[in-house]
Amino acid sequence: MDEMVLQRLEALLARVQRPARYVGGELNARVKAWEDGITTFAFCFPDTYEVAMSHLGMKIIYDIVNRQEDMLCERVMMPWTDMMDGLKEEGIPLFSLENKAPLSRFDVVGFTLQYEMSYTNILHMLELGGIPLRNAQRGEGDPIVIAGGPCACNPEPLHAFIDAFLMGDGEEATPQALRVIGRGRREGLARTEILRQLAQVPGMYVPGLYEASYREDGQLLSFAPADPKAPLPVEKRVLLNLDQADFPEDIPVPFAEAVHDRIVLEVMRGCTRGCRFCQAGMLYRPIRERSAQRLFELAEKLVDATGYEEMSLSSLSTGDYSQLGELVQGLNARFAQKRISLSLPSLRIDGHLQEALSDTARVKKSGLTFAPEAGTQRLRDVINKGVTEEDLLRTVGEAFAQGYSQVKLYFMIGLPTETDEDLLGIADLARKVAGVYYALPKGERARGLRITVSCATFVPKPFTPFQWAAQDTLEEIKRKQALLREALKIKNVTFNWHDPEVSFLEACFARGDRRMAEVLYRAYQKGCRLDGWNEHFDYESWLAAFEDAGLDPHFYANRQRPKEELFPWELLDIGVTKAFLWQENEKAHEAKTTPDCREYCLGCGLTRFEGACET
Amino acid sequence: MKMLLVFKKERELRFIGHLDLQRAMQRALRRSGLPSSYSQGFNPHIILSFAAPLAVGITGEREIAEIPLMSPVSPAEFLERLGRALPPGLKALEALPQPDDAPAAMARVFAAQYAFAPLKGQEAVWGQLTEALPAFLAREEIPYIRRSKSGERPDDLRPGILNLFEKEGEMRATLALNQQLTAKPDQLLASLSETAGVDQPLLDIRRLALLDARFAPLEQP
Repeated sequence: MDEMVLQRLEALLARVQRPARYVGGELNARVKAWEDGITTFAFCFPDTYEVAMSHLGMKIIYDIVNRQEDMLCERVMMPWTDMMDGLKEEGIPLFSLENKAPLSRFDVVGFTLQYEMSYTNILHMLELGGIPLRNAQRGEGDPIVIAGGPCACNPEPLHAFIDAFLMGDGEEATPQALRVIGRGRREGLARTEILRQLAQVPGMYVPGLYEASYREDGQLLSFAPADPKAPLPVEKRVLLNLDQADFPEDIPVPFAEAVHDRIVLEVMRGCTRGCRFCQAGMLYRPIRERSAQRLFELAEKLVDATGYEEMSLSSLSTGDYSQLGELVQGLNARFAQKRISLSLPSLRIDGHLQEALSDTARVKKSGLTFAPEAGTQRLRDVINKGVTEEDLLRTVGEAFAQGYSQVKLYFMIGLPTETDEDLLGIADLARKVAGVYYALPKGERARGLRITVSCATFVPKPFTPFQWAAQDTLEEIKRKQALLREALKIKNVTFNWHDPEVSFLEACFARGDRRMAEVLYRAYQKGCRLDGWNEHFDYESWLAAFEDAGLDPHFYANRQRPKEELFPWELLDIGVTKAFLWQENEKAHEAKTTPDCREYCLGCGLTRFEGACET
Repeated sequence: MKMLLVFKKERELRFIGHLDLQRAMQRALRRSGLPSSYSQGFNPHIILSFAAPLAVGITGEREIAEIPLMSPVSPAEFLERLGRALPPGLKALEALPQPDDAPAAMARVFAAQYAFAPLKGQEAVWGQLTEALPAFLAREEIPYIRRSKSGERPDDLRPGILNLFEKEGEMRATLALNQQLTAKPDQLLASLSETAGVDQPLLDIRRLALLDARFAPLEQP
């Protein structure tokens, strides 16, 4: 940026809220020089700084790309509305935190897709960054725009705006893709040629090389490569050995407080529990552990490099980590003296919990969180959530006896086959948890029982056994929420629920096809932005966007799909087969459970990946 | 013992607020391995206190913090270890050991010295501001609306302006900063701009020193 622009930026920063979001300069930020021959990558997080800086994936990719001598990675986040408007008024392009480089100057601009409701932010960031929104409008000098992350498993609603998507783990694939793009740009190759080459990098899906056609009833008719060399299907990337993979040893430490402002140790990737609503459980297979020994090493380095006072363990199911006891004890032995607290989120209520709990209690008592997901055993069997009421009450009882008094219980409503009896089961469970607390003698329990019951609305997701399912209509969800509000009027119990309209739109995008790109564009034009933030969510504008695009949101959200329907995401292969998913769907409707596949192979499809299921 | 630290908060950190600075300093102390003291209770944190919070947007040339230590450390070692651990934009300048019972720096602050300088392209408005200085200082009262958490109330800025002059292309001000009387640099600039009849410009503002009741820098024995 030239000096005049920088001066206008300075004046702008002096009048926006929380300017620390936009200035970078954090401890351990990597500011590399823009030398000739270096491939420049802007990692874009389509949400605010506080959210972005809580995200482990960004730190991993940032670290890996910056380790490469021939490339650099800088961070760009979604500005808050005051900054967005200010940037536009002042004619300042959206810029990176490290070198304050406008987005349009990078070779590659990459978005992480964590959440459907961040999609409008992507369009705003492209616009603010001076990059043509539609890939068809981009010229030779414009950056190649890529995306990855969990929502990339159904990339179609973004096909018009993103040049290429990465499927699966990014550790190895990101530098490979960047190298292909960087070399192509230095050699002066045409954009189309670079994208063709990019499609040859395993895991890369280049939507422009494929064509979709639709039946009269709106279902997908065919999906095929328009380019003979484009792979079909596109197989996801799998990082087989976490111990050998790079993991950041020093991470940027924000001055402004992030939502999760601490060291995060990824203990494991993948989950074999097979909960039928859970997309992550299918996407991140196979299960891979990082050894306790490696985690101790990383923890020591991260503590020295950051000065963080808190550490947490991350995975889809930390209670299943085979070395959990050893890990927690080892971390405590190393760090309790330094007053570093260890928190263990998202623990399952079976497994090694008791052992782990008695250890965390020595350092810090944070709240307890459990996710029974459904209120009755029948429905928990339907969703294959292998948790019983007995487990829950026993574990909660042990925790209460150790001095815990706050419990959060997470549920979903609108699950397939759900009845009102299942909903009332939620209230029943909350009452029983309270009962366990009051059963303890007064002197043996901490004061101030607080039970928080949070009910999310079920969103059927691609690559899950419920990918065929209809989402409950808005009216039905609202009725169920009202029922629960009444049933949960219990002393010491707080009930939280989400706007069902947001879940409805999530459902549209989660299983959307290419035509949803038009809805997204219209919503962006109507000013939709930061839709994940309650105060900015504008449902009416979204409905108008559907209307303008000539599409019916119910077609996407509330329609039960036939078994044989061709899905927009089927050209991607995440490992788990459609046949397995259908089999699980049928078992769900019979309320039959499926065991953890570490007991015996269930034939989900992952064994096709060489070396995937060896552990 | 406790250590009185003189540090610099450089221009690149001017948008970092007080609480963020406090956290950054605590993390630096943790990284340094110095024998910091911790608070009791649920979430123990490193104890430190700043003599006076610095407003967002202002650079601090000689800011002051006090850090209680569990065991004695020489000033040289303290400076060396903390200096290595501080994030970019924070510089440890001096360390002065204090007896445990020395009065808190926070209680000794009486005034602060500021420098205002124009940015590029602000020559015209700068000229108008400096020309207005005599008239501004001649005012017996400089009424303004003081905004605080507890609401708004009319106040007079004039008594808090202890000294104000132009020197070598900068404006220097000594402003009261104590329980009885406080004048803030951005209000000074707002009121001066009003007197000069110009829109308040965005100047480069530095806090040069924190002064005690003798008008000596706080760190001077």
